[in-house]
Amino acid sequence: MFENIATGFELFFTLGNILAITAGVCLGVVVGAIPGLTATMAVALALPFTFNLDPVTGILLLVGVYKGGVFGGSITAILIRAPGTPAAACTVLDGYPLAQKGQAGKALNMALYASCIADFLSNLSLIFFASLIAGLALAFGPPEYFWLICFSLTVVISISGSSLTKGLISGLLGLLTSTIGLDLVYGTQRFTYGNFNLMGGVSYIPLLIGLFALPEVIDFYVRKVAPFTVKAADRSRVTLAEFKGSLLSIIRGSFIGVIIGTIPGAGATAAAFLSYGEARRTAKSPETFGKGNVEGVAASEAGNNGVAGATLIPLLALGIPGDVVTAVILGAFMLQGLTPGPLMFQDNITIIYAIFIGIMLSSIVLLGSGKLAIRYFARIADIPRHILLPIVLMFCVFGSYAVQSQMFDVGVMLAFGVLGFIMMKINMAAAPFLMGFILGPLFEDNLRRSFLISEDILIFFRSPICWIFITITVFSLFVGIRRELRATRAKRDAIRASGAS
Amino acid sequence: MKISRRTIVGALGAASMLAFGTSAMAQDYPTKRITIIVPYSAGGATDILARQVADGLSKVLDETVTVENRPGAGATLGTTQAANARPDGYTLFMGQVSSHGIAPAVYKNLQYDPVADFAPIKLLMSIPNVMVVNKDSPFQTAGEFLEAAKAEGKTFGSSGVGSSIHLSGEMFKSRTGANMTHVPFRGSGEAVPALLAGDVDVMFDNLPSAMPHIESGALRALAVTTPERSPKLDGVPTLDELDIPELDGFAARSWFGLLAPSGTDAAVIATLSEALDQVIASEAFVNFADTRGADIEGGSPEEFSAFIASELASWKTVVDDAGVTVE
Repeated sequence: MFENIATGFELFFTLGNILAITAGVCLGVVVGAIPGLTATMAVALALPFTFNLDPVTGILLLVGVYKGGVFGGSITAILIRAPGTPAAACTVLDGYPLAQKGQAGKALNMALYASCIADFLSNLSLIFFASLIAGLALAFGPPEYFWLICFSLTVVISISGSSLTKGLISGLLGLLTSTIGLDLVYGTQRFTYGNFNLMGGVSYIPLLIGLFALPEVIDFYVRKVAPFTVKAADRSRVTLAEFKGSLLSIIRGSFIGVIIGTIPGAGATAAAFLSYGEARRTAKSPETFGKGNVEGVAASEAGNNGVAGATLIPLLALGIPGDVVTAVILGAFMLQGLTPGPLMFQDNITIIYAIFIGIMLSSIVLLGSGKLAIRYFARIADIPRHILLPIVLMFCVFGSYAVQSQMFDVGVMLAFGVLGFIMMKINMAAAPFLMGFILGPLFEDNLRRSFLISEDILIFFRSPICWIFITITVFSLFVGIRRELRATRAKRDAIRASGAS
Repeated sequence: MKISRRTIVGALGAASMLAFGTSAMAQDYPTKRITIIVPYSAGGATDILARQVADGLSKVLDETVTVENRPGAGATLGTTQAANARPDGYTLFMGQVSSHGIAPAVYKNLQYDPVADFAPIKLLMSIPNVMVVNKDSPFQTAGEFLEAAKAEGKTFGSSGVGSSIHLSGEMFKSRTGANMTHVPFRGSGEAVPALLAGDVDVMFDNLPSAMPHIESGALRALAVTTPERSPKLDGVPTLDELDIPELDGFAARSWFGLLAPSGTDAAVIATLSEALDQVIASEAFVNFADTRGADIEGGSPEEFSAFIASELASWKTVVDDAGVTVE
């Protein structure tokens, strides 16, 4: 074994590999930061460059791009409320309010620290527990998945903002929107009105950009805020106390990410929201979440970066690509004549070790290149709003168009922008909408798949995993609703008391 | 306006100049960047093949060839855009079994005509589908599986409605009358774990995605769906060669080929066809196909046209028998 590790080191320590991983991470951060260009697309675009590289170098380049991309998404989420990647949508919730308070630097740095720590922990899990937790990927059949989604949906309670009722309405609207398109089992068209562009459903990224970024732009022009406000240069940093306070959330978020990442198809977005929901649920003052709590940024970034290393677990241990990114990486392996899976651990163990070493290094490279990116990107927050917002609008249009080169998607973005603006005006949180939209298809697919596999309803109670998720779903509902009701009552009492005095 | 003879002569002259102009252009072809439209997202099997072809064509034609992904609506969106592209030889399309075989049979409101809107260039590569069960399954042969499926009902997984994986299963089901329930997933990446875990009983997966699991012993291959055995899986029989009358002549596979929008100059098609012959004969491409368990095809544009016609007809039969349609 030690001999193999030594050979792995030898394989890894070449200038080419170190350059590849550094270039990959930097490219990923920049591409990830551009709304509409996701980490997934960045990896796919980088793929052809690996054709002529050696296996380790090529794979490390792709992994670097992916990891950089996942963090990069948070930069624009915090600065201009336009999540660069879907997984960064949750970072908007507390990141953008911080930026509005002039503390963009603090939010960005916290996002970076959380990302790097989560990435590191995720990598460690990959290296030491891959064979142990790879089984999770297979243990999650449709019924188990169904309950996992049920549990994830309870997070809507935590991200509803000021009103639980409005949050639920928002979540249900999201669920409803997700039913547009062809249904999974029979291919029936739902709510497409014969429109060809809607057959594949409402596109994810235009919806995301419309819902989050565009309302800010509309609001600026509607309210006609004084245009010439130039903020003092932002020098905010994460204090040691803040870092310590968030550490528990970061670690918890990382492991939520690891588990979600191991299960094929669940995705970084859900992990970020779950981690955020948990952080808020266990916080001493949950009411500060959503208003610029730096712990919220830490939790969501830990959640989505925790996924990054873990998605490689089912790929390397079982040969199963859990998402599009790992499918591309699988493609890259196969182009090199390597087949990920149990056999690779026997036949090409030195390559695996070399890749592991590179992956560990990528967390450190991410810290460095992230610091550099923040230094330059943070200046965006200092640009006067009347100059910045038209540029944001341009990026909204560009990002929506870039996904499929479709003008229709720009229309989708504008439509959801108007919806988002109305929701903002009536104080209805947009995050539950997004949760509903993402989880809706997973909820429906797995419910229907379970019934296709067995007509017996007992299939939903077939395994301990089912029971675990049923229990925590009920618990989370009960605790969540009780606390929200108490908070509402307290607020009402306070208003009544101030009215009486 | 009165049309004088001179005008007519002038117009004819101009027209012939134009005609001459285009053929002169065809001789120069290519003079600028060529784009291959892929109707799926980056990273999928079609995309990776297209990038390999683009790389090869760039070298042979000495001109940049790029891939553009236009995913959506089960590949029909990108295909429609390719059908409507300018037929100048600078926009090509990576067609496959879905766009030019299955989709026309499944979707009733398709926005393109797979025959009239396209000028086929070359069939590039085909992939057998393989009937696989997991290692703990009691079935050692396709015959045993069929008997059990007729008696008690089985489930088969697929990467989605209308995929070749789904319709191979439907083809098996409609020919044999086996009692099989289709359980669709979103992509092979989700379907294969369900098969490994035993949540579905069988799958007619594309060979490249099943191959690693067959090699590692996690999945057992019962049969391949092509008329001939796959060189990658010598020991695995074809469905056709089993002594089951209902399965005689069973042929289902995934394939990929390059097409241009119809109306593209014949000289351009010929240039591309020759260039593609060089691409698929190259060592890089042979390696590429080999690592995927794919068979390299080839042949003339006319042969590809005839192949598409036969594919359209055979999938239509399966779809009609199985009753899979999207209105």
